[in-house]
Amino acid sequence: MPHTEADLHDDSAADWTDRLLAADASAHRDAYVDDAGFTARIMSALPAPAALPRWRKPALTSLWASAGIGLAFALPGTVLDVTRGAFGLLAGRSFSLYEVAAVVAALGLATWTGTAVALRRA
Amino acid sequence: MRRAPMASPHAVTDAHLIARCVVGDDRHAFAELVKGHQSSVRACLRKLTAGNHALADDLAQETFVLAWRNLRSFRQEARFSTWLYRIATNCWLAHARKRREEPLADRDAALADDAHAAEDAHDAASTSDHAGATTLRIDMERALATLSEGERAAIVQCYHNDLSHEEAAYVLNCPVGTIKTHVLRGKQKLKLALAAWQPGPAAG
Repeated sequence: MPHTEADLHDDSAADWTDRLLAADASAHRDAYVDDAGFTARIMSALPAPAALPRWRKPALTSLWASAGIGLAFALPGTVLDVTRGAFGLLAGRSFSLYEVAAVVAALGLATWTGTAVALRRA
Repeated sequence: MRRAPMASPHAVTDAHLIARCVVGDDRHAFAELVKGHQSSVRACLRKLTAGNHALADDLAQETFVLAWRNLRSFRQEARFSTWLYRIATNCWLAHARKRREEPLADRDAALADDAHAAEDAHDAASTSDHAGATTLRIDMERALATLSEGERAAIVQCYHNDLSHEEAAYVLNCPVGTIKTHVLRGKQKLKLALAAWQPGPAAG
Protein backbone atom coordinates (compact mmCIF):
# COMPACT_ATOMS: atom_id res chain seq x y z
CA MET A 1 0.00 0.00 0.00
CA PRO A 2 1.52 3.37 -0.98
CA HIS A 3 2.29 5.77 1.83
CA THR A 4 4.13 8.63 0.16
CA GLU A 5 3.31 11.02 -2.61
CA ALA A 6 6.05 9.52 -4.80
CA ASP A 7 4.68 6.00 -4.36
CA LEU A 8 1.24 7.22 -5.26
CA HIS A 9 2.42 8.71 -8.53
CA ASP A 10 4.43 5.64 -9.48
CA ASP A 11 1.60 3.30 -10.31
CA SER A 12 -0.73 5.21 -12.57
CA ALA A 13 -2.47 2.05 -13.81
CA ALA A 14 -4.45 1.62 -10.57
CA ASP A 15 -7.33 3.87 -9.66
CA TRP A 16 -5.39 6.74 -8.19
CA THR A 17 -8.33 8.05 -6.14
CA ASP A 18 -8.61 4.67 -4.44
CA ARG A 19 -4.87 4.67 -3.79
CA LEU A 20 -4.99 8.18 -2.35
CA LEU A 21 -7.90 7.22 -0.11
CA ALA A 22 -6.11 4.05 0.99
CA ALA A 23 -2.94 6.02 1.79
CA ASP A 24 -4.84 8.66 3.73
CA ALA A 25 -6.88 6.00 5.54
CA SER A 26 -3.73 4.07 6.45
CA ALA A 27 -2.12 7.21 7.90
CA HIS A 28 -5.40 7.98 9.68
CA ARG A 29 -5.49 4.57 11.37
CA ASP A 30 -1.81 4.66 12.30
CA ALA A 31 -2.04 8.09 13.95
CA TYR A 32 -2.89 7.98 17.66
CA VAL A 33 -4.73 10.97 19.10
CA ASP A 34 -3.16 11.61 22.49
CA ASP A 35 -5.65 11.63 25.36
CA ALA A 36 -4.27 14.91 26.84
CA GLY A 37 -6.97 15.17 29.52
CA PHE A 38 -9.82 14.19 27.22
CA THR A 39 -10.94 11.24 29.38
CA ALA A 40 -10.93 13.45 32.49
CA ARG A 41 -13.04 16.00 30.61
CA ILE A 42 -15.56 13.28 29.69
CA MET A 43 -15.74 11.93 33.23
CA SER A 44 -16.45 15.39 34.61
CA ALA A 45 -19.16 15.91 31.98
CA LEU A 46 -21.05 12.72 32.88
CA PRO A 47 -24.37 13.23 34.65
CA ALA A 48 -24.27 12.94 38.44
CA PRO A 49 -25.02 9.48 39.87
CA ALA A 50 -28.68 8.78 40.61
CA ALA A 51 -29.74 10.38 43.89
CA LEU A 52 -31.76 7.34 44.98
CA PRO A 53 -29.88 5.15 47.47
CA ARG A 54 -28.97 1.55 46.61
CA TRP A 55 -31.12 0.15 49.44
CA ARG A 56 -34.30 1.67 47.96
CA LYS A 57 -35.30 -1.35 45.83
CA PRO A 58 -34.84 -4.07 48.49
CA ALA A 59 -36.56 -1.85 51.05
CA LEU A 60 -39.59 -1.37 48.78
CA THR A 61 -39.72 -5.09 47.99
CA SER A 62 -39.72 -6.05 51.65
CA LEU A 63 -42.40 -3.43 52.38
CA TRP A 64 -44.69 -4.87 49.68
CA ALA A 65 -44.00 -8.41 50.93
CA SER A 66 -44.89 -7.40 54.51
CA ALA A 67 -48.08 -5.76 53.28
CA GLY A 68 -49.04 -8.91 51.35
CA ILE A 69 -48.41 -11.17 54.33
CA GLY A 70 -50.32 -8.80 56.61
CA LEU A 71 -53.30 -8.82 54.24
CA ALA A 72 -53.25 -12.62 54.03
CA PHE A 73 -53.40 -12.85 57.85
CA ALA A 74 -56.03 -10.11 58.17
CA LEU A 75 -58.40 -11.66 55.64
CA PRO A 76 -58.01 -15.44 55.99
CA GLY A 77 -59.67 -17.48 53.26
CA THR A 78 -60.62 -14.41 51.18
CA VAL A 79 -58.63 -15.46 48.11
CA LEU A 80 -60.11 -18.95 48.24
CA ASP A 81 -63.64 -17.57 48.60
CA VAL A 82 -63.21 -15.20 45.67
CA THR A 83 -61.83 -18.00 43.49
CA ARG A 84 -64.68 -20.33 44.40
CA GLY A 85 -67.25 -17.58 43.69
CA ALA A 86 -65.76 -16.79 40.28
CA PHE A 87 -65.65 -20.47 39.31
CA GLY A 88 -69.25 -20.90 40.45
CA LEU A 89 -70.36 -17.95 38.32
CA LEU A 90 -68.59 -19.25 35.25
CA ALA A 91 -69.69 -22.86 35.68
CA GLY A 92 -73.28 -21.91 36.42
CA ARG A 93 -74.05 -20.24 33.09
CA SER A 94 -73.86 -21.39 29.50
CA PHE A 95 -71.88 -19.42 26.91
CA SER A 96 -73.03 -18.70 23.36
CA LEU A 97 -70.78 -19.36 20.39
CA TYR A 98 -70.35 -15.58 19.91
CA GLU A 99 -69.12 -15.11 23.46
CA VAL A 100 -66.62 -17.94 23.11
CA ALA A 101 -65.47 -16.48 19.77
CA ALA A 102 -65.12 -13.02 21.34
CA VAL A 103 -63.01 -14.41 24.19
CA VAL A 104 -60.81 -16.35 21.75
CA ALA A 105 -60.41 -13.25 19.54
CA ALA A 106 -59.53 -11.09 22.57
CA LEU A 107 -56.97 -13.64 23.76
CA GLY A 108 -55.50 -13.86 20.23
CA LEU A 109 -55.29 -10.08 19.97
CA ALA A 110 -53.61 -9.82 23.37
CA THR A 111 -51.11 -12.53 22.42
CA TRP A 112 -50.36 -10.89 19.05
CA THR A 113 -49.91 -7.47 20.65
CA GLY A 114 -47.65 -8.90 23.34
CA THR A 115 -45.53 -10.72 20.75
CA ALA A 116 -45.29 -7.61 18.54
CA VAL A 117 -44.19 -5.45 21.48
CA ALA A 118 -41.64 -8.06 22.60
CA LEU A 119 -40.22 -8.38 19.07
CA ARG A 120 -40.02 -4.61 18.67
CA ARG A 121 -38.14 -4.27 21.95
CA ALA A 122 -35.80 -7.10 20.95
CA MET B 1 -12.15 -2.23 4.19
CA ARG B 2 -14.15 -5.48 4.25
CA ARG B 3 -13.33 -6.67 7.74
CA ALA B 4 -16.03 -8.88 9.22
CA PRO B 5 -17.03 -8.33 12.85
CA MET B 6 -15.41 -10.90 15.13
CA ALA B 7 -14.73 -11.40 18.79
CA SER B 8 -11.26 -10.05 19.63
CA PRO B 9 -9.58 -9.81 23.04
CA HIS B 10 -10.32 -6.08 22.85
CA ALA B 11 -14.02 -6.84 22.31
CA VAL B 12 -14.02 -9.23 25.27
CA THR B 13 -12.47 -6.53 27.45
CA ASP B 14 -15.04 -4.04 26.16
CA ALA B 15 -17.88 -6.45 27.00
CA HIS B 16 -16.50 -6.92 30.51
CA LEU B 17 -16.14 -3.17 31.07
CA ILE B 18 -19.62 -2.50 29.67
CA ALA B 19 -21.09 -5.10 32.03
CA ARG B 20 -19.39 -3.37 34.97
CA CYS B 21 -20.84 -0.02 33.85
CA VAL B 22 -24.36 -1.37 33.39
CA VAL B 23 -24.57 -3.58 36.46
CA GLY B 24 -22.55 -1.59 38.96
CA ASP B 25 -22.73 1.96 37.54
CA ASP B 26 -18.92 1.70 37.50
CA ARG B 27 -17.44 4.98 36.26
CA HIS B 28 -13.88 3.71 36.41
CA ALA B 29 -14.83 1.01 33.91
CA PHE B 30 -16.32 3.66 31.65
CA ALA B 31 -13.15 5.73 31.93
CA GLU B 32 -11.23 2.67 30.67
CA LEU B 33 -13.64 2.41 27.74
CA VAL B 34 -13.15 6.10 26.92
CA LYS B 35 -9.36 5.74 27.10
CA GLY B 36 -9.52 2.76 24.76
CA HIS B 37 -11.71 4.38 22.14
CA GLN B 38 -11.11 8.13 22.39
CA SER B 39 -8.42 8.16 19.72
CA SER B 40 -10.48 6.42 17.03
CA VAL B 41 -13.64 8.41 17.78
CA ARG B 42 -11.84 11.77 17.82
CA ALA B 43 -9.90 10.91 14.66
CA CYS B 44 -13.13 9.90 12.91
CA LEU B 45 -14.80 13.16 13.93
CA ARG B 46 -11.75 15.15 12.84
CA LYS B 47 -12.16 13.64 9.39
CA LEU B 48 -15.89 14.32 9.34
CA THR B 49 -15.42 17.93 10.46
CA ALA B 50 -12.72 18.50 7.83
CA GLY B 51 -9.94 18.92 10.39
CA ASN B 52 -11.73 21.15 12.89
CA HIS B 53 -10.17 19.67 16.04
CA ALA B 54 -12.06 21.80 18.58
CA LEU B 55 -15.43 20.95 17.07
CA ALA B 56 -14.42 17.29 16.72
CA ASP B 57 -13.52 17.13 20.44
CA ASP B 58 -16.78 18.78 21.44
CA LEU B 59 -18.70 16.25 19.36
CA ALA B 60 -16.57 13.43 20.79
CA GLN B 61 -17.48 14.57 24.30
CA GLU B 62 -21.16 14.58 23.33
CA THR B 63 -20.69 11.09 21.84
CA PHE B 64 -19.24 9.59 25.02
CA VAL B 65 -21.80 11.24 27.29
CA LEU B 66 -24.58 9.84 25.09
CA ALA B 67 -22.86 6.45 25.10
CA TRP B 68 -22.83 6.49 28.92
CA ARG B 69 -26.52 7.39 29.04
CA ASN B 70 -27.51 4.72 26.52
CA LEU B 71 -25.10 1.96 27.49
CA ARG B 72 -27.98 -0.23 28.67
CA SER B 73 -29.45 -0.19 25.17
CA PHE B 74 -26.20 -1.47 23.60
CA ARG B 75 -27.08 -5.06 22.68
CA GLN B 76 -23.72 -6.21 21.27
CA GLU B 77 -25.30 -6.47 17.79
CA ALA B 78 -22.23 -4.60 16.54
CA ARG B 79 -18.76 -3.98 17.91
CA PHE B 80 -18.65 -1.33 20.63
CA SER B 81 -16.41 0.82 18.41
CA THR B 82 -18.97 0.61 15.58
CA TRP B 83 -21.71 1.61 17.99
CA LEU B 84 -19.60 4.60 19.08
CA TYR B 85 -19.05 5.56 15.42
CA ARG B 86 -22.81 5.48 14.96
CA ILE B 87 -23.39 7.87 17.88
CA ALA B 88 -20.51 10.10 16.74
CA THR B 89 -21.83 10.27 13.18
CA ASN B 90 -25.31 11.09 14.45
CA CYS B 91 -23.88 13.89 16.62
CA TRP B 92 -21.98 15.27 13.63
CA LEU B 93 -25.05 15.05 11.36
CA ALA B 94 -27.18 16.81 14.00
CA HIS B 95 -24.55 19.54 14.27
CA ALA B 96 -24.41 19.90 10.47
CA ARG B 97 -28.21 20.16 10.29
CA LYS B 98 -28.21 22.78 13.05
CA ARG B 99 -25.52 24.74 11.24
CA ARG B 100 -27.64 24.76 8.06
CA GLU B 101 -30.50 26.27 10.03
CA GLU B 102 -28.31 29.01 11.56
CA PRO B 103 -28.65 32.60 10.32
CA LEU B 104 -26.22 33.36 7.48
CA ALA B 105 -23.98 35.67 9.56
CA ASP B 106 -23.40 33.00 12.23
CA ARG B 107 -22.74 30.39 9.59
CA ASP B 108 -20.19 32.59 7.85
CA ALA B 109 -18.40 33.13 11.16
CA ALA B 110 -18.36 29.38 11.78
CA LEU B 111 -17.07 28.72 8.27
CA ALA B 112 -14.34 31.31 8.82
CA ASP B 113 -13.34 29.50 12.03
CA ASP B 114 -13.14 26.25 10.08
CA ALA B 115 -11.01 27.91 7.42
CA HIS B 116 -8.65 29.31 10.08
CA ALA B 117 -8.39 25.87 11.66
CA ALA B 118 -7.53 24.34 8.29
CA GLU B 119 -4.97 27.08 7.57
CA ASP B 120 -3.37 26.57 10.99
CA ALA B 121 -3.11 22.87 10.24
CA HIS B 122 -1.63 23.63 6.85
CA ASP B 123 0.98 25.95 8.42
CA ALA B 124 1.84 23.25 10.93
CA ALA B 125 2.19 20.76 8.09
CA SER B 126 4.73 22.87 6.24
CA THR B 127 7.10 22.69 9.22
CA SER B 128 6.56 19.02 9.89
CA ASP B 129 8.91 16.15 9.03
CA HIS B 130 6.02 14.29 7.48
CA ALA B 131 5.04 17.16 5.23
CA GLY B 132 4.10 14.92 2.29
CA ALA B 133 1.70 12.74 4.25
CA THR B 134 0.29 15.76 6.08
CA THR B 135 -0.25 17.62 2.82
CA LEU B 136 -2.24 14.64 1.55
CA ARG B 137 -4.23 14.62 4.81
CA ILE B 138 -5.08 18.30 4.52
CA ASP B 139 -5.88 18.10 0.82
CA MET B 140 -8.06 15.08 1.55
CA GLU B 141 -9.84 16.92 4.36
CA ARG B 142 -10.53 19.84 2.04
CA ALA B 143 -11.70 17.48 -0.68
CA LEU B 144 -13.94 15.61 1.77
CA ALA B 145 -15.46 18.95 2.76
CA THR B 146 -16.80 19.31 -0.80
CA LEU B 147 -18.86 16.11 -0.49
CA SER B 148 -22.41 15.88 0.79
CA GLU B 149 -22.75 14.75 4.41
CA GLY B 150 -23.88 11.26 3.40
CA GLU B 151 -21.04 10.82 0.92
CA ARG B 152 -18.44 12.10 3.36
CA ALA B 153 -19.71 9.88 6.17
CA ALA B 154 -19.81 6.81 3.90
CA ILE B 155 -16.25 7.38 2.64
CA VAL B 156 -14.89 7.97 6.16
CA GLN B 157 -16.62 4.87 7.58
CA CYS B 158 -15.62 2.56 4.72
CA TYR B 159 -12.05 3.75 4.18
CA HIS B 160 -10.77 5.54 7.27
CA ASN B 161 -12.65 3.50 9.88
CA ASP B 162 -12.16 0.30 7.87
CA LEU B 163 -15.79 -0.78 8.15
CA SER B 164 -17.58 -3.10 5.74
CA HIS B 165 -20.51 -1.71 3.74
CA GLU B 166 -22.86 -3.53 6.12
CA GLU B 167 -21.23 -1.97 9.18
CA ALA B 168 -21.26 1.46 7.53
CA ALA B 169 -24.97 0.96 6.80
CA TYR B 170 -25.48 0.25 10.52
CA VAL B 171 -23.50 3.37 11.46
CA LEU B 172 -25.43 5.60 9.06
CA ASN B 173 -28.73 3.79 9.64
CA CYS B 174 -29.42 3.35 5.93
CA PRO B 175 -29.53 0.50 3.39
CA VAL B 176 -26.29 -1.03 2.11
CA GLY B 177 -27.19 0.09 -1.42
CA THR B 178 -27.25 3.72 -0.27
CA ILE B 179 -23.75 3.31 1.20
CA LYS B 180 -22.44 1.92 -2.09
CA THR B 181 -24.01 4.83 -4.00
CA HIS B 182 -22.58 7.39 -1.56
CA VAL B 183 -19.10 5.86 -1.83
CA LEU B 184 -19.23 5.79 -5.63
CA ARG B 185 -20.46 9.38 -5.96
CA GLY B 186 -18.07 10.54 -3.25
CA LYS B 187 -15.11 9.04 -5.08
CA GLN B 188 -16.17 10.71 -8.32
CA LYS B 189 -16.26 14.09 -6.57
CA LEU B 190 -12.92 13.40 -4.84
CA LYS B 191 -11.38 12.66 -8.22
CA LEU B 192 -12.23 16.20 -9.30
CA ALA B 193 -11.26 17.85 -6.01
CA LEU B 194 -7.91 16.02 -5.87
CA ALA B 195 -7.05 16.49 -9.55
CA ALA B 196 -3.63 17.88 -8.58
CA TRP B 197 -2.71 14.44 -7.21
CA GLN B 198 -3.54 12.66 -10.45
CA PRO B 199 -0.48 10.83 -11.80
CA GLY B 200 0.88 12.19 -15.05
CA PRO B 201 1.25 10.02 -18.15
CA ALA B 202 3.86 7.28 -17.73
CA ALA B 203 7.22 8.11 -19.24
CA GLY B 204 7.99 5.73 -22.13
